[in-house]
Amino acid sequence: MSARSSAMNSWLAVAFAVLALAAPFLLGDSRFLAFVLGMTLINVLWAGGMNLSYGYVGLMPLMFAGIGGIASYAMVHLTRVEGWSFWIATPVVSVGAALIGVLLGLPALRLKGFYFTLCSLVIQTVLTLAFIFFPKYTNGDTGISQIEPPDWIGGTRLSGVWLDFALAIAAVLGVAIVAWIVPSKLGQRFIAIREDDILAESLGINVTRYKIIAFFIVSLYAAVGGCFYAGYVGFISPRAFDVLVSLNVWLMVAFGGRGTIAGPVLGALVLAPIPYLLQDLQAIRDIIYGALIIVVILALPGGVYGEWLKRRARHRQATTDSGKLADQRT
Amino acid sequence: MSDATVLVLMSTISTGLLLGAIFALVAAGVTIVYGCVWLPNASNGQFFVLAALIAWSLTTTLGWGSAAAMLAVIILGILLSLVLERTLIRRLYDTPNRNIAYFVLTLGLTQIMSGIFSLTYAKWSDQFTLPPLFEGVTMFGAFPMSNNRLGVLVIGFLLLGALFWFLRQTPYGRALRAVFQNREAAALRGVNVRGMYKFSFVLGSTIIFIGGVLFALAYSFDLTVAWTMAITAFAIMIVGGPGSVLGALVVGLVFGFTQAIVSIFASPTAATFSYLGAMLAMLLVKPTGLFSR
Repeated sequence: MSARSSAMNSWLAVAFAVLALAAPFLLGDSRFLAFVLGMTLINVLWAGGMNLSYGYVGLMPLMFAGIGGIASYAMVHLTRVEGWSFWIATPVVSVGAALIGVLLGLPALRLKGFYFTLCSLVIQTVLTLAFIFFPKYTNGDTGISQIEPPDWIGGTRLSGVWLDFALAIAAVLGVAIVAWIVPSKLGQRFIAIREDDILAESLGINVTRYKIIAFFIVSLYAAVGGCFYAGYVGFISPRAFDVLVSLNVWLMVAFGGRGTIAGPVLGALVLAPIPYLLQDLQAIRDIIYGALIIVVILALPGGVYGEWLKRRARHRQATTDSGKLADQRT
Repeated sequence: MSDATVLVLMSTISTGLLLGAIFALVAAGVTIVYGCVWLPNASNGQFFVLAALIAWSLTTTLGWGSAAAMLAVIILGILLSLVLERTLIRRLYDTPNRNIAYFVLTLGLTQIMSGIFSLTYAKWSDQFTLPPLFEGVTMFGAFPMSNNRLGVLVIGFLLLGALFWFLRQTPYGRALRAVFQNREAAALRGVNVRGMYKFSFVLGSTIIFIGGVLFALAYSFDLTVAWTMAITAFAIMIVGGPGSVLGALVVGLVFGFTQAIVSIFASPTAATFSYLGAMLAMLLVKPTGLFSR
């Protein structure tokens, strides 16, 4: 990576962090826009986690939303019934849900490509059915409403601008952690596994172990996002954690640009607001997202940001080549 | 055995055979396309429901007879799969790991189609029933079975038989199976592989369409059947062995009977749980399935 592009990346990162953290205060007047912003920030966090798995390790876990659902239902149970604080319940259930995610995913990790994805789809479907048919903790299809927002010091509730601000911190931290993992030894091993897992194995990388680590981190992202979702929206139901949600988060990563830091953020910023701006027309969202999935698969395999990076690299290559040619001529 | 036991037994057998034939047809459609093109069609459930819904529109709204509607749906199914092949499916024929790309592509298609259905049919009705293909009732001892379901059952098994005959006895079917087994060798022997891809996609999708119409003729249905069918067809394909039509037939019948038996004691969802469990176990133990060559 050239010095110029890494300088640009740090500028992008700083700009994103400042904008995300300032946005809640800029939009403070309109609760509707603030809500769209909050949902977008949760999706930025989710897309960051999905990117670590799909973009850097090369696994497409369609049970992502299901793991988020487990954490979300558990958090709501602990805070409402057992009286725990949101800030204690969230880390506890997130680690728990991530462990469950690893346990469920462990056998599937032997499988590759399509078979892994199909297996994760099966697990997701089982989880969705479980949310519906074990209503003791989930209240079945009706869902749980009137979930209190996260508690805060002095017995107050975190709400309004400050809850948006908390989401912004979570999203920025989430993206920052991915950006910190990628150049580290761990991240480089993830990339080695994505590029060629047989070669990685023969180089002494314990592929299964690193896939488990990746899976744990991804599930953690899903779980933390799920807890914030419950605290922010105040209502959860099996539909909030079904396979389409996993697919939508995947689309944000793939549309923005898998395997880049900025791509998935861009994807979430562009795609997450669509359903809220469409209001009651949820079916239109399905049509738009479905069409975008097909566009990404057929025409944009690297995503918008990925294709832009590729085009720029090609352009720069062409200019240096013609420069060399000109040098030779003179 | 008391009369009541006999009745329950007979009804379980007839439901099992009927569901089994439909499951086997749809799974055969999915497995033919996967075996040949390497395309796991996640939108098979939406194709299935689309066929049923078109038949419902033709009979209920336009007042066509069930037989005419069935023929029209088959023709529409062929046309739709030709259009899809030309616009989408063809573009990935030469991609190396195309099964995952196709899987995601058809998930996208699923999302589009379910969006369209909830904008249209979901607003018009929540339960869909077709007029029967045949009138009257046939008595098997004390057990009455409507001629309509009997007719659907016979058509289903005739179609499965025709499919087997086609794959084993005709040159086209043999070429198709040759592509299943070894693309390169088939190409060297003069089989037009890309032509076979197209043919098998159209054949498989049309079989799924027929399965949808038969299901709609035998049972009233709602839109949720799409996702259940998609999962069930995948489970049958994985357990039976991807690409094995015999596996689809045998496991399809087993699953049909499972559903019929489980529905006596518990909700059909319990049956779905058991398919998912069977698929998961098979994926983990032997991803090539029971009937793989």
